Amino acid sequence: MPLELLLALVVGGISGIAVLLHLAGRSRQAVLTAGSARSAWLRHFPNDCVTKVLPAASGQAALVLTEGGPGLLWAFGADTVGRPLAAARVRETASGLRFEFNDFSAPGLSLSLPDDERRQWLELINTPAEAA
Amino acid sequence: MTGQISFPDVTQLAVPFLIAAILAEFLWIALKKRGGRYETRDAVTSLIMGAGSVAEGLLLGFIAWALLMFLWELTPLDMGTSLWAVLACFVLDDLRYYWVHRLGHRVRWVWASHVNHHSSQHYNLTTALRQTWTGTFTFMMVVKAPMVLLGFHPALVLFCGGLNLIYQFWIHTEAVGRLPRWFEAVMNTPSHHRAHHGRNPRYLDCNYAGVFIIWDKLFGTFVPEQDHDRPDYGLVHNIASFNPLRVAFHEWAGIFKDMARPGLTLKQRLLYAFAPPGYSHDGSRETSAGIKAAHLARHPEDAGTPGFGG
Repeated sequence: MPLELLLALVVGGISGIAVLLHLAGRSRQAVLTAGSARSAWLRHFPNDCVTKVLPAASGQAALVLTEGGPGLLWAFGADTVGRPLAAARVRETASGLRFEFNDFSAPGLSLSLPDDERRQWLELINTPAEAA
Repeated sequence: MTGQISFPDVTQLAVPFLIAAILAEFLWIALKKRGGRYETRDAVTSLIMGAGSVAEGLLLGFIAWALLMFLWELTPLDMGTSLWAVLACFVLDDLRYYWVHRLGHRVRWVWASHVNHHSSQHYNLTTALRQTWTGTFTFMMVVKAPMVLLGFHPALVLFCGGLNLIYQFWIHTEAVGRLPRWFEAVMNTPSHHRAHHGRNPRYLDCNYAGVFIIWDKLFGTFVPEQDHDRPDYGLVHNIASFNPLRVAFHEWAGIFKDMARPGLTLKQRLLYAFAPPGYSHDGSRETSAGIKAAHLARHPEDAGTPGFGG
């Protein structure tokens, strides 16, 4: 097959499928509740014992407290991903919190959080696990 | 042996049909409201990985070709290109695929290349195209060497490899349940391969087959899909990026980061590269064996069932 034709097929195919899926509503993000976030965390980390779940008001993420320490779960397309925060760097930004996971498979994440939510999350993230 | 033989590049020729099949699967799912899930960014990432894999073949395929042609010059054998030779080559190549695939799950160096294929939390026809960009760096082309030395021309070996890959496209679907018993007994099917893509402890390291599931039954790695334990797709530790570069290289980055840790012995550094995925020098991570053991500690009732020694 001529390279030009292959290239046109690939670019056209990918673009067409992307547009079709988007128009068909397949770009919607998962929205997390306390219950769905707990289930999702245990799906990712079945050995954990979850003590508390705080979904963000936006539903885009949840702070998950476990006996081993805090973790962050967030919407990843229609699904979720989670990371323990033990090795993460968390800092305040103008609109919320910025998480750096020190993990090539999980680039940093910026979350928009209202002031009271941001303060509560920071306090819980910085509280030793046994005291949470 | 010498000789000029050429076969069509079936993976390139199949591109229009692959696109048509993806559209058909999506429309079927959308209309029937069952049989799988599609997500825009996930699907686009998978398709870009597929395109990148073809590009990698165009750019670096000469390395494997040069090695195989070197061996072809050495061998005194020539199986020819009769229908029987093609059939024998196809079956042998499928056995070759089984072992390369098994190594791909049991040796982290090879897993680093293969992991991207398992990195989607979805399972649809686009997942089939989420192929590696780094296969050349695993040096697994050497597993093709015995076939060439047996007298199968490198062009025929690569042709059969392409057919194998094309066969595996259609089994990446939830739209097909189970097929007739005789077919499920011999061939790799959507049901068998769904189990292979499951991150559930039961399904870790099972069903490595490409075309014939008999290899898994022969070598003790077959686990049938269980209706009460539906495959949960993705990785044990799911990646958090749709960026194709991160998808393609994240495990390589992990290997080199682990190998460069201070205070390790040479053996520990090498084990981070070549031990099964999940190895750690301090026991802080779990291999598939540890994950299965932890599952059985939580669910002792599963002991002796498929995937847990049953």
